[in-house]
Amino acid sequence: MTDRLRIALTKGRLQKKSMDLFTRAGLDCEPLENPGRRLIHSLPNYPLDAVLAKAPDVITYVEHGVCDLGIVGKDTILEKGGSFYEVLDLGFGACRFALAVPEGRDFYGSYKTRTIASKYPNVTRAFFEQKGMDVDIIKIEGSVELAPLLGLADGIVDIVETGATLAANGLIPIETVVRVSARLIVNTASMKLHKAEIADLIARCEREVRSAT
Amino acid sequence: MRYIPNTPEGTRDRLFEECRERRRVQSALTHLFRQRGYSEIITPEEEFYDLFTISGSAIAQEEMVKLVDRSGKICVLRPDCTTPIARVAATKLKDAVLPQRFYYNQAVYRAGQEHRGRHREIPQCGIELIGAKGRKADLEVIATAVDALRACALEDFHIELGHADIFPAFARRLEMDREELEQMRALIEGKNFTALDDFMSNYAGQPGCEAVRRLAYLFGGVEVLDEAEALAGRMSAIDYLRDLYTQLDRAGYGSYLRFDLGMVHHIDYYTGPIFRGYVEGAGDAVLSGGRYDQLCASFGRPAQATGFAIDVDGVARCLPQAEPPRLAAVVHYPPHLIGKALALVDSRARGTCELSPCNRLESTLQLAREKGIGTVLILEEDGIREVTVS
Repeated sequence: MTDRLRIALTKGRLQKKSMDLFTRAGLDCEPLENPGRRLIHSLPNYPLDAVLAKAPDVITYVEHGVCDLGIVGKDTILEKGGSFYEVLDLGFGACRFALAVPEGRDFYGSYKTRTIASKYPNVTRAFFEQKGMDVDIIKIEGSVELAPLLGLADGIVDIVETGATLAANGLIPIETVVRVSARLIVNTASMKLHKAEIADLIARCEREVRSAT
Repeated sequence: MRYIPNTPEGTRDRLFEECRERRRVQSALTHLFRQRGYSEIITPEEEFYDLFTISGSAIAQEEMVKLVDRSGKICVLRPDCTTPIARVAATKLKDAVLPQRFYYNQAVYRAGQEHRGRHREIPQCGIELIGAKGRKADLEVIATAVDALRACALEDFHIELGHADIFPAFARRLEMDREELEQMRALIEGKNFTALDDFMSNYAGQPGCEAVRRLAYLFGGVEVLDEAEALAGRMSAIDYLRDLYTQLDRAGYGSYLRFDLGMVHHIDYYTGPIFRGYVEGAGDAVLSGGRYDQLCASFGRPAQATGFAIDVDGVARCLPQAEPPRLAAVVHYPPHLIGKALALVDSRARGTCELSPCNRLESTLQLAREKGIGTVLILEEDGIREVTVS
């Protein structure tokens, strides 16, 4: 076992912001800026190796302990679940899950069971369970806005950043389901076996997150 | 219908090394447990679902593998080993003089979600010490937990101690309802530091608020006991852990022990010290246990109890792979010398020699060449001839 920690970073939107955070925390992210063909990137001035992965895979890698830490959106955590420590709200990647319905439609104005389309069936189920409301949930993989337009669903539960896509499709968000942002997660066993190293990384990130707000 | 030769999701065939590794761990553990006076109990694979609901087991319904028996009753494949053993101890063995020491070496079954790489069948090996309370019983079981992992040839591991009374003692001073309490428990257990901070800000100013917030951070070496005391004052659970640590440290176990005072799983189940074992190389705890003084009473015989379970495959995966024995020789023999031929195999190192099923020597030589066996031992009336095969 090497004494280097391994972190899984979510590719895409959160990747750049994760690297910015690390850079401000004093970690040299040069290998990640120019990844080339390598898949595991060793930071030169800090005992940390980084891999880039799709959001749900970040959770999988951390849960199984092949990565000690991960940066992933709360949206993915809520949808996928799993067992790990969620130690820090990194603040960036902030957006919300919202319930959106076709404009002018009274969503709650009927006792008929509603149909909801979502890429996030578990988040949707938890939301309506909490309301004690039965709904039919249909999982959609691509543009969820299409489902109400085609008459498949009465509403959607999806991530909303600006609301522009919704508005363009005649949908309006009527309720916030939950606010989400990027989180630092830690494998349970790694936290115990490498406490000092992980605590240092958490502390560095936390300092930057606090100074940014 | 076309037959699909795959095994169901979450199950797998285990060949050779995987069996050897699992058996090696099981034999090291059962040897130790028997040595210390624990007797084996095998309970049925299938039990009534109700058994695990009346006992207040923390295993969620959806995690149990369910079946319906012929009478229409719901059964489950045993999701844990402790509950059935407590049932036996409190019913079939209700007149046995306590304490009783039991060990088990059997699988538990968990339904789990699809495609998460988790196994449905998890072999566990563990002990239960039933009918003994207090410090000496706890010392015995915790020291045996350390010795058990050592017996498996693991060195880089910790046993982490907590206590079921610590969370309630910290939370007692806060005014909150049961649902909020459970929310707070989950945040501490999940070391969800930020969410816990937010949650606790609703209780700012209440006595004990800061202490609860810090509870999630109270893990590490023995110094966390001092920190806990500084935060929340003296409490018997901390004194108790300190005493256990002192005794175990004097006995040479100190270097294996850590603490996590924010370990607050299954609050309604555990009643005293709780502990988990972490090994370098395993992504999750490989050992889990604690004191559960209420369980036997739910089957009609109150008895204090403590014990632990080890995830056998979890340990096996952390061990360096042992070199499997290599076939070095094959015995060619006439049928009437079968007894001598087997004696010859038995006299060699285990797994390095086997009998040839061939009648003709040329066939045996051919077989040896194909299997890469270096030597053919030709057994005859008047002795053994050795032929080297290139």
